[in-house]
Amino acid sequence: MPSPRTLTCLAILPLLLAGCRSRTQDNPVGKPIAIKAPLGLPPVPVPADNPATADSVELGRRLFYDKRLSSDNSLACAHCHDPKFYFTDGLRLSKGVNDQLGVRNAPTLLNSAYMPFQFWDGRAISLEQQSVGPIANPVEMNNAKHEIFLDKLKDDAEYPKMFRKVYGSKEINLVRVEKALANFERTLLSGNSAFDRFQYGGDQTALTPAQIRGLAVFLNPAGGNCASCHTIGPKDAIFTDGKFHNIGQGVSGDGDFTDIGRYHETKVETDKGAFKTPTLRNIAQTAPYMHDGSIRTLAAVVDFYAGQGNSNPYLDPEIRKIHLSPQDRLDLVEFLNALTGDLPPNSGPPAK
Amino acid sequence: MRLKPSFALVLIAASLAGCKSKPTEPVVTTETSSAPVFYHVDAATAGSISGTLKYTGKRPTPKLIDISQDPTCVKAHKGKAYDESLVVDSKGDLANAFVYIRKGLEGKVFEVPTTTVTLDQSGCWFRPHVVGLMVGQQLIITNSDPVTHNIHSVAQINREWNHSMGPGDAPLQRKFTKPEIMVPVKCNIHDWMHSFIGVTDNPYFAVSKDDGTFKIENLPPGTYTLGVWHEKLGVQEQTISVSPKSDTPANFTYKGE
Repeated sequence: MPSPRTLTCLAILPLLLAGCRSRTQDNPVGKPIAIKAPLGLPPVPVPADNPATADSVELGRRLFYDKRLSSDNSLACAHCHDPKFYFTDGLRLSKGVNDQLGVRNAPTLLNSAYMPFQFWDGRAISLEQQSVGPIANPVEMNNAKHEIFLDKLKDDAEYPKMFRKVYGSKEINLVRVEKALANFERTLLSGNSAFDRFQYGGDQTALTPAQIRGLAVFLNPAGGNCASCHTIGPKDAIFTDGKFHNIGQGVSGDGDFTDIGRYHETKVETDKGAFKTPTLRNIAQTAPYMHDGSIRTLAAVVDFYAGQGNSNPYLDPEIRKIHLSPQDRLDLVEFLNALTGDLPPNSGPPAK
Repeated sequence: MRLKPSFALVLIAASLAGCKSKPTEPVVTTETSSAPVFYHVDAATAGSISGTLKYTGKRPTPKLIDISQDPTCVKAHKGKAYDESLVVDSKGDLANAFVYIRKGLEGKVFEVPTTTVTLDQSGCWFRPHVVGLMVGQQLIITNSDPVTHNIHSVAQINREWNHSMGPGDAPLQRKFTKPEIMVPVKCNIHDWMHSFIGVTDNPYFAVSKDDGTFKIENLPPGTYTLGVWHEKLGVQEQTISVSPKSDTPANFTYKGE
C-alpha cells in the first residue's frame, strides 16, 4: 500500500510535466499529408506530435531559406545545406556568420529523415531537436538567445499568419519553428537513382557492367565490406546503419584525435574518434568527404579504405576486413556514381 | 524500489568505503626518471669501420615491377620500376644491406640525434628502400605523389601501425620506442611498395650503397659484433676490433646461386 506521501508525489507529477511544456498547442493542426518515398527508400518516419501538413512543410521551407534565422541576417539554413550542392555547401568545413569556420563538414539533408541520430556525433535524436542546434551555435547562425530571431519573425508581416494556419494560433515559439523545419526536411527525399532502378525497379540495364561489379565489391564482406556499415536492405536502402564507427580519420601519430566525435556525447572511451555513418546516396555530388571534409575525391576515399584506415586503439574491426584490388577500386567509384538520385520537388527557395 | 533504512545505511557505508580505498594506496615517488647520462665519444681516439658487401654467383637480372594497374603511378614513377629487394651491380656489389653494431656497446647510452630521417613516397615507391634511425629519432614520412598512399609499419617489437596519406597531406611524424632489425613497411594500396627501417639504440649503422660499400664512423675503440641484414639474403655477423684512430676493414660476402 503506497504511503500518502507517495500518492501526493504521484498527483504532482503530471503538473510538473505540464509545466515543462509550453502552454500553447504546438502540434500542426491541419490534415496530415503523405510524404511519398521515391523508389529505393522506405516510408518516412514521422513523430506522432509533429504530423506533416502541407502548411507546416511550406512554413518550414520558408524558415529554411530565411536569413533572419542568423544573428546578422546574413545566412539561412540553406547556406550550408544548399540545394545546388545537394543540400551541402561543397566546402571542407562550413562557414557561419562572419565567415567563422566550423569544425566539421556539412552533411547533406537529403534523406536525413531516416537517420536515427542527427549530427556527425549524434547529439540530436530527431530532426526537430537538430534544427535549433545550428541556430544557436556561435560559429554557425550565432543566436545567443533564441528570442533574438523569434522576435524578428514575430515582426514579419507573413509569419504570424502562417503560424496560425499551421498551429491554430499565431504564436511563434521555438518548438513551432523546430517542428516546421523538421517537417520540411522530412520532404527532402532523394531516391530513384540508377542503383534503385536496378536493384528495386527491375531495370537490369540501369547499371553499367563496371557499376554492377562495383556493387558486388560493395556487398562482399571480404572485398569492400562497405555494406557492413552503409547498409542495403532487401526492399530499400538508406546506405547507413545509423551507428557510429571509428575509421581512424583525424587520428595523430600519438593516437590523439583532433575531434573525438561520438565521445562528446557518450563519454564512453571506446567512442573516441567514432562518427556517424553517413548515407552514400548522392555521394558523388557531395564532396569533400569525411567528418572533417579532408578527402577531396571518391577515388581517394576508396583508397583510404583500401589502406584499411588509420590505426588507433578503437579502430572498427570491420575496416580490417577490406581487401580491394585496383580494379575493385575503380569499380567501386563507378558504383558510387550510380547513387545520385532525383532532387525532391518543391525543395528550393519558396516563391516570394 | 524501497530499501529498509538499515540496509540502505549499510550500502552507503560500503560505497563510502569503496571510495576511500583508492587514495590510500601508496604513491610511488622513487625518482627513476632522472636524465640519462649520455656516452660521449672521444674524437681523439675514435675509429671507424668500412667495407664492401659482395654477392657471388650469377648477377640477378633486375626484375621489372608492373605498376600499370595505377596509371597515375606509372606517370609519377618516371621510367621503369625495378625491384629493389636484390640489387647487385656488374661487379657483384650488393646494395641495400643494413650494417650495424650488434654487440659491444652495452651499457652506453647514446644521445638521440636531433636530425630527422625522411621516408618519401614518390612515384608510388618508398624512397629510400632501406633506412636506419635510432630509437626516439624523428621519422618524417612524406607523400610526394598525386595519389593516396598508406604506410603500414609491420613492426613486431614496436607497435604495428597503419596510416593513410592523401595527396598533399601534411607529413607524418613517427618514432620507434624499441630497437628492431628490421621494421618492414608496406603500402596496403600499392602492394609492390616496400621499405625496411632499421631501428637501433646506437648511432652506428649504415646502408650499403649501390657500389656495395658502407662506412661507420666515430666509433669508440673496442671489440664489436658487426651485424648485417639483407631482406633476401638473410643475416650475417662478424667480430671486429676497432683500434684507436684507425679504419678497420670489414667485408661480407653472400653466396648467390
